[in-house]
Amino acid sequence: MVTTVLFYAFAAILLVAALGVITARNPVHSVLFLVFAFLQSAVLWLLLEAEFLAITLVVVYVGAVMVLFLFVVMMLNINVEELRSGFTRYLPLGIGVALVVVIEIANVIWFRSEGQAFVTPTPHAADYSNTKELGGVLYTEHVFALEIAAMLLLLAIVAAITLTMRTRHRPGLKVQDVPAQVAVRAEDRIRVVKVGPVKE
Amino acid sequence: MLANYLPILIFVIVAAGLGVVLLGIGFVLGRGQKDQEKLSAYECGFEAFEDTRNRFDVRYYLVAILFILFDLELAFFVPWAVSLDAVGLFGIGAMGVFLALLVVGFIYEWKKGALEWD
Amino acid sequence: MIDYALAAPEIFMTAAICVVLIVDVFLRQEKRWITYTLSMFALVGAAVVSLLFGTDSVATTFSGSYVADPAGNALKLFAYVIVALVFLYSRDYLERNGLYKGEFFVLGLFGLLGLMILVSGNNLLVLYLGLELQALSLYALVAFNRDSAAAAESAMKYFVLGSIASGMLLYGISILYGIAGTIELGPLAAALTEPGGLTVPAIVGLAFVIVGVAFKFGAVPFHMWIPDVYQGAPTPIALYVGSAPKIAAFALAWRVLVEGLGPLHVDWQGMLVILCVLSLVLGNFLAIVQTNFKRMLGYSTISHVGFILMGFIAGTENGVRDAMFYTIVYVLMATAAFGMIILLSRRGFEAESLDDFKGLNQRSPWFAFVMLLIMFSMTGVPPLVGFYAKLVVLQSVIEAGLVWLAALGVVAAVVGAFYYLRIVWYMYFAEAKDSSPLVAATDLRTAISVNGLSLLALGLFPGYLLNLCASVLG
Repeated sequence: MVTTVLFYAFAAILLVAALGVITARNPVHSVLFLVFAFLQSAVLWLLLEAEFLAITLVVVYVGAVMVLFLFVVMMLNINVEELRSGFTRYLPLGIGVALVVVIEIANVIWFRSEGQAFVTPTPHAADYSNTKELGGVLYTEHVFALEIAAMLLLLAIVAAITLTMRTRHRPGLKVQDVPAQVAVRAEDRIRVVKVGPVKE
Repeated sequence: MLANYLPILIFVIVAAGLGVVLLGIGFVLGRGQKDQEKLSAYECGFEAFEDTRNRFDVRYYLVAILFILFDLELAFFVPWAVSLDAVGLFGIGAMGVFLALLVVGFIYEWKKGALEWD
Repeated sequence: MIDYALAAPEIFMTAAICVVLIVDVFLRQEKRWITYTLSMFALVGAAVVSLLFGTDSVATTFSGSYVADPAGNALKLFAYVIVALVFLYSRDYLERNGLYKGEFFVLGLFGLLGLMILVSGNNLLVLYLGLELQALSLYALVAFNRDSAAAAESAMKYFVLGSIASGMLLYGISILYGIAGTIELGPLAAALTEPGGLTVPAIVGLAFVIVGVAFKFGAVPFHMWIPDVYQGAPTPIALYVGSAPKIAAFALAWRVLVEGLGPLHVDWQGMLVILCVLSLVLGNFLAIVQTNFKRMLGYSTISHVGFILMGFIAGTENGVRDAMFYTIVYVLMATAAFGMIILLSRRGFEAESLDDFKGLNQRSPWFAFVMLLIMFSMTGVPPLVGFYAKLVVLQSVIEAGLVWLAALGVVAAVVGAFYYLRIVWYMYFAEAKDSSPLVAATDLRTAISVNGLSLLALGLFPGYLLNLCASVLG
């Protein structure tokens, strides 16, 4: 009962936040709305007792991916007004795609429940840990997939560095050397010159 | 299980409530006399001539993406630590390999100079 | 208990990538040849490991997420050869154009590892991860030349479209998992054959999976990235994108559609027929109007994909064998064709226009002949192997009762002949724009000659490769 109320409350906030993402004038506000939407989705996952996914969503998406989004938004200097000019043109396509997805989800749910009422899953006991269950299979049964995931992360490191890093130490390029600046002494910079009297 | 999260729910409600109340009080009690000049951007007496936001250097992006990758690694560590008694030595070995692969990536980015700003 | 020996090639390749990556980062630019040599040794080593640990029977390990079988082993061995050829062809070009960096080889090996995982994946999660591993390395490779705006643009298109396709694939996988309650291919097929199974949602999931497969192949209407990537990427990378990933696409279709979703054959047959017809028609007709050779090869790939799909459409054991045969032959032809572009280009000059092939016979009769072999093989002229590849897939669709599709395939091949033979015409009967002799390293010349002649040799003895495909598929 309480969870049902909570579900509708958070789902409503989620929808409002999602609408905010696409209607906000300022792209930075859009990203912040997206952060808010992610937080609400995390709560929905928590209500499904998928606590690890909820935590991951907060730690990885809200904590890291959204920071990246902000950087990208600020890097690209997006003008939303320009982007929005195509809104009505793409609206039919967007509605079409949305309809297809809705029909498919309805389809799956409908056929899944054909002839049988939905059984409300029984809540787990207080000491049940979804994270522990997940870990129990992830590091034994799916260990192959785990190591591929490690390779994917390694590949991502290599790809990101290959594509974005520019070395600045080309020969002849003047760079600031902070330790050298700090360690500098007066004698290195000033030469006190005694100038004798000059006779005309 | 969800009962364990009740304190967090209370915390969220209090936090949201506090935020709404504080802003609301300011909004209701404040004697705002707004006009065009007050609401316009203020920039040392002259008209604003550029956007508030400056463009970021692409180097921030590299730092952020490297952070995400190690953040994801962390996400793999949490269930491992929680289920360590269940997965046993095999799990430690599996995570060892996982970690070793990322250490290779770490050596690469360190030696490549991706962690240096200049 | 986990049998690590079955997955020895992947384990070896993972270790080799780490070694190459670490060694490369400690090398100075003038010592870059060490990275190249190490990568080649990694490929040779992987081949040795694959041969040593290869099995004659089908065996799974890692709780059913990995399968070792002769067909997978054969595809991996072929992939090592192709990637070795790609590295060999590319070295010279990369050096000339200031792209000679260790990351090229590392990313190439990463892509190969993704391919190997895809070939041997036995559950949907592993297949998806293998696909992503390869796709991610390809995205990075396409954008490898950071000073080229065209490369960045094509990489962006490839990445965005690829992400959407991979999202669709994942959505389809999640629906299938929801229905069958398993991600392992064998049990998935078993769950789908159960009477009273949930066929309608399964077809919905299947449709999404098909999108992912079609994107990987580049079948119309999921072909948009192919021409742009082939044209925009530096030639060695277009060579890589155009060759090895086709093996991965075949493996994905074979594992997912035939082994996992085999019970839904009737349903995916119809979807593949649409993709096949569109690819044949659009690919061939758009290839005619191209003036850029790389872009033309892109459209020609799309039409060849139509032929590969024919084998799957037939759905019989022979059909899969024919699709595998066609894939191998096509990859050999594409490697040779891109190799020719690299052979003709010089520093700061890309021989990517059709005009650059004019009068090749006067400049180098031997390489004009090799190019003739490649073009004839792509057209499907006997006795080159391309002819037999087309013949067997057409036979398999006729056996499946789709005579009209076979007829369309023949028409498509005739249309295709126009643009392939136009190049032959240019080479022998047009005046050369510049008559400077070819400058290329000896290893590059030898490798391309062998690659071109292999098309003739395999064409003279087509039964050998075909029987090999049949025997490894079991």
